[in-house]
Parts: sequence; structure tokens; C-alpha cells
Amino acid sequence: MARSSTENMITLMSSDGEEFMVTEKVARECTTIRNMLEDDCVITNIPLPNVTSDILSMVIEYCMEHVAAAEKAAAETAEKGSSSAPAAAKANKDLEEWDKAFMNVDVYTLCDLILAANYLNVSGLLDLTIQTAANLIKGKSPEQIRKTFHIQNDLSLEEEEKIRSQTPWAFEKSE
Amino acid sequence: MHCLFISLLSLVSIFTTQVLDLFPKMLNKLKCTVKVEEKALANMEIEVSILDLPELALEIVLEKLPPDSLTNLACVCTSLRERCTSNYLWERHMKEKWSSILGESATKEWELHIKHLMDTKEKNSKEKNWMVSLACAWPISWIRSLIECGGDNKLVNRNLHQPEMSSIMSFYGALESGKLWFPAQVFNRENGHVGFVLSCYDAHLSYDRHTNTFFARYPPHGTKPVKTEDGVKWDRVRAPLVSTPSHDLHISDCLKDLRPGDHFEIQWRKNKEFPYGWWYGVVGHFETCNQTEHFCRCHEDDIVVLEFKQYSRGSRWRQMVIRRKDHREKGNATDGFYGGIRKLKTDDEIKMWRRFWPVEVLE
Repeated sequence: MARSSTENMITLMSSDGEEFMVTEKVARECTTIRNMLEDDCVITNIPLPNVTSDILSMVIEYCMEHVAAAEKAAAETAEKGSSSAPAAAKANKDLEEWDKAFMNVDVYTLCDLILAANYLNVSGLLDLTIQTAANLIKGKSPEQIRKTFHIQNDLSLEEEEKIRSQTPWAFEKSE
Repeated sequence: MHCLFISLLSLVSIFTTQVLDLFPKMLNKLKCTVKVEEKALANMEIEVSILDLPELALEIVLEKLPPDSLTNLACVCTSLRERCTSNYLWERHMKEKWSSILGESATKEWELHIKHLMDTKEKNSKEKNWMVSLACAWPISWIRSLIECGGDNKLVNRNLHQPEMSSIMSFYGALESGKLWFPAQVFNRENGHVGFVLSCYDAHLSYDRHTNTFFARYPPHGTKPVKTEDGVKWDRVRAPLVSTPSHDLHISDCLKDLRPGDHFEIQWRKNKEFPYGWWYGVVGHFETCNQTEHFCRCHEDDIVVLEFKQYSRGSRWRQMVIRRKDHREKGNATDGFYGGIRKLKTDDEIKMWRRFWPVEVLE
């Protein structure tokens, strides 16, 4: 796009020293970075010591996709004078599909993404990752949850039994 | 991990500088190796599990879980048990599912239930087992008097501390499992029995989660046996709107304000041994009134006409008159007794009653 050549570029640096050049618009999807840019408008190089390159590249991928989708919707509205409802619905559905495919990751990556989305304050990504984590828990037995999230059981049999006896109905489906 | 990481890096950089002096051509290759190592170390360091999530993020994950998932998660480990049993998380579920039908009396019933369980924990196991199984099957208030008369109160240790027992999670659990019989009111009792259309009676309810309905037990009418009903749907249940017990006369506080067109519910009982039920009606005009807004003076008269238009004209249940000034209870052995009156205050209250309006007029 012609416009992007004139747009400000920001360099984001991951904890492991990898540099990522992104447009300011994409960088601004992260509220944390947006605040930094608003405080200091000449800043072009931002170190992110809490995010590794693997995760940062994923966060950027997410932000780029969502910025592109918003730009596309805006362009369509400008072209036709008003946005057509079926086209907007389709675009939303496509983006949802994209999000769903994007969330096809292992739990460690998912947790890292939650941490990064929380640190960089990307609200859409935080909602998406948190919902994904919640969905991974739903309908599972305690043992299945431990397996999924690699958690050691430090409860005694008696302690576990106590919770189960208080709410036996909760274990009907998952067992 | 951090220290190890930093010291490794500084070692590597010292090494690199020395190599640079000695073997300048190897520099590029080494830089590459350092990069890969750095990355591997950094990635290893941030391998986190769900328990390492920031407080707020984990809290939001937990907030998105339905009650059964929250309970399963509570059995995973001690840290999750602490979080998943918190009153904060369960308050919302409690409110969402139960608040519309739980009144003060239900909460009180639960408190008594807990107190009773704690008290009896100290008694000998034989006695305890008998009590708990009984407590599960009958409203505790019904058997409490029995126990208190026969039990040896000296054995009870009131300082026994059982915080988790009284948590909102266990309250929710007791309701959901149907173990707790709680007081509420049921519209059109006994499956809309024609004798109870547009009435609302006190009952003890137990929830059946498999059918998502309630089992109701109505307090005995005199010497008649206890009536029960199963399959009571949610829309027929409400929390009692006043704290007056079903055998007590409700003290009316709206008598002087009643005007034609006002919707109300009034206590009625067949005879003085029976509990009251609440019955729906609308304030009417005198026969002599032409019922136009400007000329009607019905609201100034001491006599108030209560109309029950669900009954046909001429039915003995169609109309009743009471005195504003000194109405308490009025009636006789044939027509029953009309007690305290409550004006319906909101559209929702009126709508709730109107849903049960009969298809055919009653005799």
C-alpha cells in the first residue's frame, strides 16, 4: 500500500534481542506501546524485556491481522458510502475464524500469550486467549485438567473428597 | 534463572571479545551461536503454566467458568482450591441462578442448617449419622425442635470452626443438589388445582437438577396430611415478598391508599387452623359509582371493594368488601377468612400474577 511507505515505523525488540519493524498503527494496537508513543512521540525503538521473540511475533501477527481487517472495513464503507450489513457480517466471521485458527497452540504458548497480551495490554487478544483457556477447562475432570495444564496434584485424597462431597453434581458429566 | 542467564551471557561476551582478538574470522559464526543460545534460554525461562498467570488474568479465566467447571478445577491442586472456592466467584453464580427465588427466610434456613451440622459434628457418630441423613431429607426447622428437646446440648461445641462449610459455594452446592429444603412460595399449587388458581402458597422446595424443576412440600392444612408436588417449574416459584409466616396475620400498610384499579394480593385461609395463602385481585368500584375518573369517590369511602374477576359474576369468591380503618381479618367458616393485604407495587409484580390468569372463568 502506498500509504504505509510514509507511515512511521517502530522497532520492537524482544527479550532475546530480536527486532521487529512494524507500522505505528500496528504498534498502537498495544495500549502499553500507545501510551509510550503518546508520552514520547519521537521514540522509534521500544525494548520489550518481558516478551520473547516467538511470542512477540505472534502478538504482532494478531495485531496486523486485526488492523488490516479494520482498514478493509473502513475502506469498504468509504467506497460505498455505507457499510453493507452482510459484507460486514462476513468480514466478522472471517476474522473470528482467523482468531480460532490462531488459537490452535499448546498451553504453554497460550499462557505466554496471555502474559504478553496482559503486559502489552492488547484487549482483543487478552479476551481471546482468556476465553480459550476457559474453554480448555470446561467439561473436564480434575485429572484431565491437571494433564492439560501440567499441574501437580498436592491435595490429599481426603481433601479432594471433601470438595466432591459438597458438590457431587458437578462431577456427573466430567467423570 | 535470571542470575544464571546474565552470568552465562557475560561469560559468553568475554569469550567473544577474546576470540575476536585472536580469530577475527570466527566472529560471525560465534555471534550466531550466541543468538540461538540467548533465545533458547529466554524461551525456557518463560515457560509458564496457568498458575503463573497474573492475578487479574487468572481471575478473569475463573470468572468465565460455569459452576461445575469451577468445582472440578477446585479439585486440581491446593492453589486452585483456594481460588475456586472463593465467595467472590460464587456470589455471581448464586445471584444468577438463585436470587430470584431466595428470600431472607431461605438464607436463614441455610444458616440454621450449617449451625446444626456444626453442632452435631461433636456428637457421637451414631447420633450424627442419623441427624445428617434426616437433615438431608427434611427441612431443618421442622426437626430442630425435636432435636433440641431430646438432645443433650452440653455436648455441643459451638466453637468448632468450619469456614468452608458456610461458604457460598457450599450454599450453592446444597441448593443445586437438592439437599437443602428452602422456604419459598409457589403459584397455583398442586399443578394448578382449580381451587388454587391465582394464589401463592408457602412451601419448602428442593431442586431437581435433572429435570430443572422443584419438589414442593406444603405445610399441613390442619390435621390433613402434608401435600407434595413434583415438577414445579421456575416460573411458578417466587421468594416470599414479606417476612410474615404463613400462620400469622400480615399487617396491611396500604389500606388508606387503595384506589379502584389497584392490583393487590391478600391473605386468605379457609379456617383458622390453616395457613394463609396469598390471592390476587383488583380494587373495584361501588355499584353506584359511574366509574369515571373525575366523579369517582370510591377511594374516599371507608369501604373498599375487592374484586376477584377470575371468578364468574355471582360466584361467592367474586367480591369482598373490607373497612379501611380497622381491617385485620374478616370472614366466616363458609367463605374463609381474608387477612392482610399488600398492594402490588411494580408492573413486574402485576405481570407475574397475570401470567396465571385462567383461560376459563372460575365458578
